[in-house]
Amino acid sequence: MTKHRYVGKSYPRTHETEKVTGKAIYIDDLKLPGMLYGKILYSSYANAKIKRIDTSQAKALPGVRAVLTGEDIPDVRVGFIKDQTVLKKDRVRQFRDEVAAVAAISPDIAQAALDLIEVEYEELPGLFDPFEALKKEAPLVHEVDARGRPMRSNILPLPWQFSAGDIEKARQESAFTVKDRVATTWVNQCCMGPSGCVAEFDTNNNLTLYSQTNVVFGAKQRVADYFAKIGLGGKKIRVRNLVVGGSFGTKLDTDIYEFICIQLALKTRRPVKILFTREEEFKALPPRQPAVFDIEQGCDASGKLTFRHVEAVLDNGAYTSWGATTPSVMMMPISSLYRVPNVFFKATCVYTNNIYAQAMRGYGNPQATFAVETAMDRLAEAAGIDPAEFRYINRNQSNEKTPMNLKITTCGLEECIQAVKAKISWDQKHGRQNGRGVGMASLIHVAGGARVYKSDGHGMRIKVDDEGNVDVISGGTDQGQGSFTVLAQIIAEALGFRPEDISFNIGDTALALWDAGTHASRHTFIAGNAALKACQKVRRQILEMAAKQMPKLIQMAIKRQSRKNPDFQPPDIDFGLFSDPDNLDIQERKVFLKSDPDNPYCSMDASQVLRQGLHVGTGESQTIMAEVFYDPPTEMLDRQFKGNYSMTYAFGTTGVEVEVDKQTGEVTILNMVAAHDVGKAINPTLIKGQIYGAVYTGTGYGLTEEIKLEKGKVMNPNFRDYKILTAKDRIPIEAVIVEKGDADGPYGAKGIGEPGLVPTAPAIANAIYDAIGVRITELPITPEKVLDAIKTKEGDAWCQ
Amino acid sequence: MINYDYHKPAELADVFGLLEQHGAKAELIAGGTDVMVTIKQSNRSPEALISLRNLSHLSYIQKNGDYHIGALTTHRMLEQSELAQRELTALYQGASQVGSIQVRNVATIGGNICNAAPSADTAAPLLIMNAKLVLKSNRGEREVAIQDFFVGPSETVKEWDEILTEIIIPKPQGNFGSAYLKHSRRKAMNLPIIGVAVGLSVSKDSIITDARIALTVAAPTPIRVPLAEEFLEGKTLSDDLLKEAGALASSPECCSPRDSLRCEGWYREDMVRILIPRVAKEAVENVKK
Amino acid sequence: MNKITVNFNLNGEPVTADIPVTWTLLRTLRENFELTGAKEGCGVGECGACTVLIDGESVNACLYPIPEIEGKSVLTIEGVAHADGTLDPIQQAFVENNGVQCGYCTSGMIMSAKALLEQNPQPSESDIRSAISGNICRCTGYVQIVESIDMATKTQNVKNPE
Repeated sequence: MTKHRYVGKSYPRTHETEKVTGKAIYIDDLKLPGMLYGKILYSSYANAKIKRIDTSQAKALPGVRAVLTGEDIPDVRVGFIKDQTVLKKDRVRQFRDEVAAVAAISPDIAQAALDLIEVEYEELPGLFDPFEALKKEAPLVHEVDARGRPMRSNILPLPWQFSAGDIEKARQESAFTVKDRVATTWVNQCCMGPSGCVAEFDTNNNLTLYSQTNVVFGAKQRVADYFAKIGLGGKKIRVRNLVVGGSFGTKLDTDIYEFICIQLALKTRRPVKILFTREEEFKALPPRQPAVFDIEQGCDASGKLTFRHVEAVLDNGAYTSWGATTPSVMMMPISSLYRVPNVFFKATCVYTNNIYAQAMRGYGNPQATFAVETAMDRLAEAAGIDPAEFRYINRNQSNEKTPMNLKITTCGLEECIQAVKAKISWDQKHGRQNGRGVGMASLIHVAGGARVYKSDGHGMRIKVDDEGNVDVISGGTDQGQGSFTVLAQIIAEALGFRPEDISFNIGDTALALWDAGTHASRHTFIAGNAALKACQKVRRQILEMAAKQMPKLIQMAIKRQSRKNPDFQPPDIDFGLFSDPDNLDIQERKVFLKSDPDNPYCSMDASQVLRQGLHVGTGESQTIMAEVFYDPPTEMLDRQFKGNYSMTYAFGTTGVEVEVDKQTGEVTILNMVAAHDVGKAINPTLIKGQIYGAVYTGTGYGLTEEIKLEKGKVMNPNFRDYKILTAKDRIPIEAVIVEKGDADGPYGAKGIGEPGLVPTAPAIANAIYDAIGVRITELPITPEKVLDAIKTKEGDAWCQ
Repeated sequence: MINYDYHKPAELADVFGLLEQHGAKAELIAGGTDVMVTIKQSNRSPEALISLRNLSHLSYIQKNGDYHIGALTTHRMLEQSELAQRELTALYQGASQVGSIQVRNVATIGGNICNAAPSADTAAPLLIMNAKLVLKSNRGEREVAIQDFFVGPSETVKEWDEILTEIIIPKPQGNFGSAYLKHSRRKAMNLPIIGVAVGLSVSKDSIITDARIALTVAAPTPIRVPLAEEFLEGKTLSDDLLKEAGALASSPECCSPRDSLRCEGWYREDMVRILIPRVAKEAVENVKK
Repeated sequence: MNKITVNFNLNGEPVTADIPVTWTLLRTLRENFELTGAKEGCGVGECGACTVLIDGESVNACLYPIPEIEGKSVLTIEGVAHADGTLDPIQQAFVENNGVQCGYCTSGMIMSAKALLEQNPQPSESDIRSAISGNICRCTGYVQIVESIDMATKTQNVKNPE
């Protein structure tokens, strides 16, 4: 095993000290000269016609610089399937519909102006249950689609259907089958930093958008598409990231408020900031996609899985963002978590007048894994096999291809299951049903990029100046995970410099080469590989420069010594060795002769070489720079949704021990072990940080979090009634890092950003079943649901 | 737009003068953690806010036979008071769980009571302690028993021109122990789903000589449960006895927990039944201390 | 909009300002003093991102009416590092132990930790968790924040062994 200097160490976040001194600039802190404040007026009904909007009083309020409605801006449709306009005209279809927008000189005046806008609605009956919306007689949420063609139902024209093998045959050959319906609901990403952006046009109508997006080039593309339709085609767009207060999926799409902000900036000719309040974060930001799964699973007599048949109904809300694409990720656990030869999956996305959903950490995987891992436990029980053993029997292994054609290269699932079993004391604790129990669940997730777009690439630029400062220009972004600390370690290791020599310029489309986005847990893998390749080039350049310049510099140093000290004995150096760059190496920013590393006359700081190489005086100056565009050799999903869309896959297992209070229904987590197959931990502390954070969010998903929607209205749009866990809600958690290396990852690393969350909720549900013999198939598993199930099972005995 | 005058009177007389001046158009503010939120969320404000914060002489926890707590005492002071922890345990527990430390550092017990949320954490403890509230105005002074103070959700008998200045807790007879349980969905920053306070005096041979039970979020106001208390008094303490008391307390004769956004009524009712015995046992433990 | 003149001590220095009466301390810090370290995470005292210390006690600045600041001593995150720029042990610990991820809750967390360590230089894990229970974090799961604060107590005690 190669010994690394930086990779594998828990290098601290010294690149981010601004965050602990209050100096980091988030979107809320950004102030531009002449900046106005934008605010949005939302619909008062879930479904209604807009009869009349009167903005005259708002416009007349001193300090107001613009008031816009759907009448004032072109009717351009935006979004994944272009099913909504930026400001809604004539009709609202959900409570968060944006009906008007104001820009004013202060947020108070903007709010006051909103209060002066009069809107007259004619309320229409709303659809709030996707199963109702599926019925033939259901009214249509959209009468026409994006192209103006009449819609015949509320079903979105999305082709989510996957099939492999022969389900019917497999069903008949199964010794045991189980069938369940499980349901997951809306949860909010709860980024501590609220959403917002600042839009500024220059005199020629070129735009700078200060954004929190994960996907600067994607955002640029979407804005460019929009510009083309509003008469600004060809104008330049610069998307710039500031420090971001968390994303967890909220910043993958270009949201309506960003288009509104752009329109306000265009209208007022001033920079405009829109910043969400926490209430807007809950009411006006798309949350995680809810889903109801009907899952049937079978195995043979020895416990080997024979088939998995899953049908899912997704409440799509009134319009469409990335929530409707979660089935493309759901397919991954459904077809490929554990070895299952015959698979069928169909997802139906249905319009309703509820809120619509977008990405959230895991992107469909947590929902689908809850279904799969519930079914796994149920099937294990039906087959009379211990649930851990059942999973072990069906574990994925290295060098396999799944029914979805995913090529599993490295796989640490076996190690993860075994680690969890041992650390959670599975054999001693499982099967007692005495109020305490253990459960487990596993995951598969993309970990080597995700070819969701035609390019899954990352362009990395690295330059080194004449003082030895390394500047890395990357189109990736950081939402807090520390992706650039990790990259600093990778680059330092590969270049032979030190992490503190490295600075980053990230998320600026004007400077960076294209990147698909910091999503799908891809950044370390893809950007890391791009960086490695760029470092190879940079290193070569530096060593070639050193080969030329070092002999001169050494001779100058020897001359200086001789002048100072007449008794000085010049060292015996074979200058010929320097002519071959392969005889040189760089470590800790020092360039030295490999064959004589400790000789002070054969080594010097790289900056000396770099300065000498630049300030030559003969017109042969050289600078150091390299850029690499790394796009991994993966496949797009074909029409059957098959294809190896990632270079490698992450696996993991979470085990939980719970205690259930059988009279209150409260679930206490006594112990949790999350084992993750990460290939290589570039920074173990940072990896653990990702796991801990994801586990807490996953636990909230399992036990306490839900957006309470009543006829389309968010009833708990605040932290008081939306129960995200606090520091006092301690979870005794151990993160186990399984490192088997991955030949394709930078220093063997695979992605980790999302996996930590995925199996948490089903592991808890399975542990509850082990503890008290009741299975809750609807998230979150609240005390009410547990107590209700206990009362059903035990009758009046429950309170004796 | 939100606009108000902000007054910081130093003496009670000044407070009364300001109330006289503004009438019902002014609102009292102490810690601000309720008032400032209401202003923000309703997007409306009174004409004036009259701050009680500077009446520092109304901030104290004292014992001279009875217990006297100034209305401007913060929850944090109660949380950090050994006297409260030892001798007014339920109140200590209730006060310690209001909001967060940041909230408790400024929010006052007077504010908590006068805001009169059906879920107020100090309400059930004060009810079982038979607290008396001292209300002062330009017209004089009166004492109101806390059982008579709450008349509806967020409604009290306090007149618009009255200030709550002190809470008097009579020293209980015999060996009295109390406890408060705030049943919530997570361990911090909650409004309770249900609040249960129990105070018991128990003789050396385990006879219950004094039983007091109070509930919050089980009725439109915080309530005592006299039927369950009468049931317990004079009887020998036992698990079964407490279970029966819990069952009785959860009946429609004693409480009326409703469905709300935060919780369904049936669950609240079940929790009254289940939690009363648990809190009673904790109160008994505190008797021993 | 009426304005009020307030005089108080801000990060060790006496300051005076004319502020609209209805402003909170948070808005005053961010807009008048341009100290943007304290954040508006919710605006209603439910997340702790705006935590500052007033006379040593942690407070949600978003609910603190500015007229009440008269004569008080305020410490914000910008005043925590030493005058020469060296980080306070708590700040240093957060950097070294991954106590900071996106950083949005960090100012508030550090202030709550500071209040704790001033009163209780050797807190237990439970004390630490209670002290920050009014500060919500979505990134870290709190584990490494607690570890950072614990690390800071050790550093502090090494520096000031008593």
